[in-house]
Amino acid sequence: MAKWGMVIDLEKCTGCQACSTACQMENNRLPGENYQDVLYYTEGKQPTPTLKWFPRPCMHCEEPSCLHVCPTKATFKTADGVVLIDWNKCIGCKFCMIACPYGVRFYTDEKPLIEPNIKDVFKGSGDLSWNPPYKGPQQDNAHGVGIQPNGVVSKCTFCYHKISKAPAGTANLTNEDEATREFTPACVRTCAPTARYFGDLDNPNSEVSRMISSKKGTRLLEHTGNKPQVYYVTGSGAGGGAAVPMGRNGINKV
Amino acid sequence: MTTQVEAKGPVGMAMMAGVAGLVISLGIVFSNLMSSGHASFNTGSNGVTWGLPVVNYVFFVLTSTGLTFVASLAMVFGFKEFYPIAKRCVWLAVVTLIAGFASLALEIGHPFRMLWAIPLSFQYLSPLNWMGVFYLAYLVLLLLKFQKVNANDWDSSGSRTLGIASFVAVVIAHGTLGGVFGAMIMRPMWYGPLVPIYFLLTAAVSGAAFAVLITYLTYGSAGNMPEKVRNLMAGSMSKVFAAVLAVVILAVVSRTVIGLWTNADGMQVWDHVVASPWYWIEIVLMVAAFLMLVNGSSPMLPALMVIVSLFIGRYEFIISGQLVPLFKGSWVPGLIQYTPSLTEWMTTLVAFSIALAGWAVGEKMLNLAAAPEGKNS
Amino acid sequence: MNILNTLITRRRFLQAAGATSAGAVALGSGKIGGFATLSEAQAAAPEASGGATVTKSICGQCPARCGIDIYNTNGRVHAIYGNNDHPIANGKGCPKMHLGTYMLYDPDRFKGPMKRTNPNKGRNEDPKFVPISWDEAYKTVADRLNNLRDKGESHKFGLFFGRGWGATDVGLTIVPFGELYGSPNAPIGHSSICSDGSVLAKQCTDGNASYSSYDYRHSNYLLIFGANFLEAFRPYNNNLQVWGYIRGVKTPKTRVTYVDVHMNQTAAAADRALLVKPGTDGALALAIAHVILTEGLWEKSFVGDFKDGANLFKTGQTLDPASFNEKWVKGLIEWWNAELKDRTPKWAAGVTTIAEDLITQTAREFGSTRPAIALFERGAHVHSNGVLNGMAIHSLNALVGSLFAEGGLGYQMGPSYGPSPANAADYMDDYAKNGPHKKMPRIDLKGHEDGYLMAKNMIQEVGKNHLSGKAGYKLDTALFYMTNPVFSTPNAKNEWEEAVKTMFVIDTSPFPSEVAMMADIILPDNTYIERYQDAPTYPFQGFPLAQLRVPAIKPLYDTRTFGDSLIAIGSLIKGPTSEYFKKLESAENIVRHLAKGFEKDPGDNGVKDFETWKAKGCWFKKPYVYRQVRGEFLKWDGKGYNNPMSAEDVKKDLLMTDSGKFEFVSSYMEHKKDWVLAKTGRDPVKYNMPHWEEPKYTGGGDVHFISPKTAMHAEGRGGNIPHAITLLQPAAGGNKGALAEIHPSLASAKGIKDGGRIKIKSAVGEIIATARVTELTRPDTIVLPFEHGHWAWGRWAKALGGSHVDEIVPQQSDRISGMCNYYTGKVTVERA
Repeated sequence: MAKWGMVIDLEKCTGCQACSTACQMENNRLPGENYQDVLYYTEGKQPTPTLKWFPRPCMHCEEPSCLHVCPTKATFKTADGVVLIDWNKCIGCKFCMIACPYGVRFYTDEKPLIEPNIKDVFKGSGDLSWNPPYKGPQQDNAHGVGIQPNGVVSKCTFCYHKISKAPAGTANLTNEDEATREFTPACVRTCAPTARYFGDLDNPNSEVSRMISSKKGTRLLEHTGNKPQVYYVTGSGAGGGAAVPMGRNGINKV
Repeated sequence: MTTQVEAKGPVGMAMMAGVAGLVISLGIVFSNLMSSGHASFNTGSNGVTWGLPVVNYVFFVLTSTGLTFVASLAMVFGFKEFYPIAKRCVWLAVVTLIAGFASLALEIGHPFRMLWAIPLSFQYLSPLNWMGVFYLAYLVLLLLKFQKVNANDWDSSGSRTLGIASFVAVVIAHGTLGGVFGAMIMRPMWYGPLVPIYFLLTAAVSGAAFAVLITYLTYGSAGNMPEKVRNLMAGSMSKVFAAVLAVVILAVVSRTVIGLWTNADGMQVWDHVVASPWYWIEIVLMVAAFLMLVNGSSPMLPALMVIVSLFIGRYEFIISGQLVPLFKGSWVPGLIQYTPSLTEWMTTLVAFSIALAGWAVGEKMLNLAAAPEGKNS
Repeated sequence: MNILNTLITRRRFLQAAGATSAGAVALGSGKIGGFATLSEAQAAAPEASGGATVTKSICGQCPARCGIDIYNTNGRVHAIYGNNDHPIANGKGCPKMHLGTYMLYDPDRFKGPMKRTNPNKGRNEDPKFVPISWDEAYKTVADRLNNLRDKGESHKFGLFFGRGWGATDVGLTIVPFGELYGSPNAPIGHSSICSDGSVLAKQCTDGNASYSSYDYRHSNYLLIFGANFLEAFRPYNNNLQVWGYIRGVKTPKTRVTYVDVHMNQTAAAADRALLVKPGTDGALALAIAHVILTEGLWEKSFVGDFKDGANLFKTGQTLDPASFNEKWVKGLIEWWNAELKDRTPKWAAGVTTIAEDLITQTAREFGSTRPAIALFERGAHVHSNGVLNGMAIHSLNALVGSLFAEGGLGYQMGPSYGPSPANAADYMDDYAKNGPHKKMPRIDLKGHEDGYLMAKNMIQEVGKNHLSGKAGYKLDTALFYMTNPVFSTPNAKNEWEEAVKTMFVIDTSPFPSEVAMMADIILPDNTYIERYQDAPTYPFQGFPLAQLRVPAIKPLYDTRTFGDSLIAIGSLIKGPTSEYFKKLESAENIVRHLAKGFEKDPGDNGVKDFETWKAKGCWFKKPYVYRQVRGEFLKWDGKGYNNPMSAEDVKKDLLMTDSGKFEFVSSYMEHKKDWVLAKTGRDPVKYNMPHWEEPKYTGGGDVHFISPKTAMHAEGRGGNIPHAITLLQPAAGGNKGALAEIHPSLASAKGIKDGGRIKIKSAVGEIIATARVTELTRPDTIVLPFEHGHWAWGRWAKALGGSHVDEIVPQQSDRISGMCNYYTGKVTVERA
């Protein structure tokens, strides 16, 4: 069984947000509800201000703090290493959102970021909180895939409806290989500068394992002990505009 | 035999106010929840996740905890002078616990699914579950204990055991509630092994304040109180209240100083906390209440002041712990802006109304002034 | 009152939301009010059993024309990814691409042809559209045009178009329509509000009236002026791919210096960001050229050298032109003597505000790294001195020998298309050849001495000239295709918006717009997901590439491809015009004819006819056949660059100037010398050389106002795509509309708080915006992306409100290129 993981090369990331929109459409996210987000930080002063950005999917942690807090085991970790939510069990207590250090979980019932509420324009019925006409064919509530029902929490699934169909023993899921293209997570598949790599962390010959080794992959907020399965590499020399932010926010102490 | 004491306070009025409050608040909450779900809250995935309804919950369940402590002074620890308010405190613990649960139920996405999903797939690692288990056990034990007391069984071994058991249950329950927050290392404003102890202290002062306030409400004034009650209020109750309050003031100040001092990512929010007038209102109310208590004035006003102060404190704790955004970048460049919506405020009214009406019902129908005869020295 | 309510309440068809949310796209939802056409149209939507059908098509959200795979499962389009067989997309996507499904299912789309019943026009006038049949719609338009032609007033018909898409909708339809019908105003393109400044700068220097193709992947240095490579410059998707390669894979890593007026993604990702004073990019380029010459860094194999081999360029000292042997350039010493000798980094520092040492360092890097590319776009040339800035920057390419070099830049080759179904020249009647329209100037006075003699188009002048009658007449009827000048031209509110009130307006967009709000007839086009359309590539890497748009789903509503509509109208025009359009038959028929060219010249990917083109989505033939190697021009012989080109060949195909060389002294401009001197007042000594001229700032304020394009623009539709709105301006945090970036020093001087409302005023108007107080922008510059402020663009755009930047941009154009000076305005700002 693979242990799926991702490597993001910050030297190549252009901060274009295509990962965000590919995810939005593949997974039918609401406007502003970005499973995969690119976060921008500004520091310094003119004429030498610093702008940097940071692509941030769910980390699919080895020790996910969101998992332990879930009272109903709605949040679970699959045998192939993916953190998912069973929407049939989720009670919407949002403790997982509190316990996630990375801010990558989303509750269904919230005020829309912009009006009119797209949920009112494409109204859902029954178990669906909305129903966009462009929704994908996949709907798998037990794995938190598809249009989310009301009153539950949802999150990045590593495009579980795609990766779970990859043949056993696959080391790399990549757009470049036609055989794995359709099994590749949307954000990885579309990444124009090829800053994202996806594969089996347990396979020492996978591209992700090689990159973690050769480019010294690091993980975010190691002090929380969550042990993300998403690694960041910065390559040699000066990076581009992408970088790990110094803090989780831009707020300084007085 | 117990003596039925006619309550002279505004119990009827309280009942009417509580019922009216409940009708209004539930009407607004349900109509808004029906039409727009939790979008009628100002909470959000890019904002504050746990909003005012959770503040209400924590405020009331910890009040319930504190009321059990007060009742236990007589029923568990043998401070018999507390017997005249013990039954009332047990009942109040029941109604405030229900008030807290009610607010939480309005906040949860699928409160009914919870009823089967938790038992059927129990996550033993989740503090939330143990909190639920122990608060539930506590509620059952409280009700059983109340049933005993209501049947005038103050002192049988069964009754004593129930009293001890409910005390133990609530200590553990509030401890797990403390764990819900204290274990969150990713939220440093909440994090800390002593948070359950902090909750214990604040729960105790909350219980004491409610015990005092409700006693005054029951009788209308000190003059109307039976002598034992009057003596208790002016004497031991005020002293216990003042003593616990003093420790809580120290705890709050200590948290503030550490919070302002620490550089950990997330603690920036303390700058915001102390910049808010509400923080200073909280402090001034507590300190003033303490000074009034040690100066021997009537504890009623200090009780009210402390309740207001504690509610501010709960709000400050729950909300401020979430105000530093986690990886939102320029989308949320500063602290998260959060103001509760009308619907959220109505959940507060729901909780207070349940507590008020519940108390009044008990006062009218359950002889809350009862105490074991001859046992109180 | 707004157009949306109007259009929604007046529509005869199902709302998209209702029709689609029930999953009834393919099934229709029964017949509403006797209008069976919709459900018939929808009934035949493709049914795929067991998995998605993937249609190879091309995106329609920017000029790049990426190949896309459109996923359709059971009649529902649910995903769009890049086409891996397409040389621009390579299977990848930009952030807009994926949102294309939303454009198909936009609930605000027009559902069928309509006519206006309220004769009054205005922002607050309900057009009171009523549905009509396509036959009635076409006949109404054709009758009107025939009537004009009968009266000898065919010039009063204007056809305005935006993004041209090849033969089906422009080359064989729009363009011949104007010739056959007989109007100088059919068509008028949008290039003057787009990027004509760069076209003219190239035309004046190397003779190519075109954008350049670039070989970034082999370049070792990019010096980019105001072309936002990682946010807006075309082909965006491929730029991103290039970036990942040149910065993360290639050895040696390509170094990048980026010049712009605020810190954006490209600036942040570059090795060096130079935040320049708006409009002064040319001064920077001149100083770089100065350093390259004085330090002897120029490419001698391309430029030539001093006869004695010693570098005689000394700051401030003139030289004898005879001392230098020029190779592929003309006028270097004249340029040096007249302009460059004094353009030191120190001087440029004073003009641009960029530190002198940074200018020198940049020049040394650029001059000593081969191959290197200097590229520029709107940021540099959307000013009164735009062509001069562009010429100065492009001259750097000549100095380092990048023209047609590997890792340099060239020009785009066209595809091997088959012949058209009909040749327009065969269908010209006497009126078309000699009618009164022949004596009429274009309404925009393009090519007119009183107007813009050298410009390609002047769409921004049309409203003004129509109102004033400056061209000697007013337009009677105007048809719009993929352009919305009522919103997107400077001072639009006072000019174009007023002008369309006195025209009979035909709009063809699938979506509501400000033009549609003023329209008399709506002929809604299909979205790009639902139609055939060919598109030769925009300048890319030079090798020929032709893409094909293929419908991935039957039209959801009663809409028709614009090309088909124009063919239908053309078929109703009196005389031989109708014969021509009948021969064209349909857009699909045109595509089939074009594909015949591939039979003789199959593409690298095996595309050899219509069916294979449709299956692959593109035809292309690598490589770019021209290459300049160390001053020698070579042509590909099938195996390598082995065929040397003569100077005549170079002049004919590559350096198409009078001299057949890259001209620092422009012969193209010299041909218009009198006019240029009269209209610009420039120094006769150097008017046709790249030289420094202070930009003419307009608007009367004290702060520069810059309104850049962002990645989510989507030819404007991004303004009504909810997901695009929430990702519009990530660096500044604009996710509920665009934010005005304002520097803290300016903000505090004006008492403006972050997130506060501000009023931005110029001589022509004022707008309200939300401030983002940030160090991203210069203290003297407010940056507010153009996108929002629409009043008839769809429900999200309407609800958002937002600031319409063009309401405070005064009307000024570069006299040479006609390029509209969007970034030249100065404003005042205060708390609102």
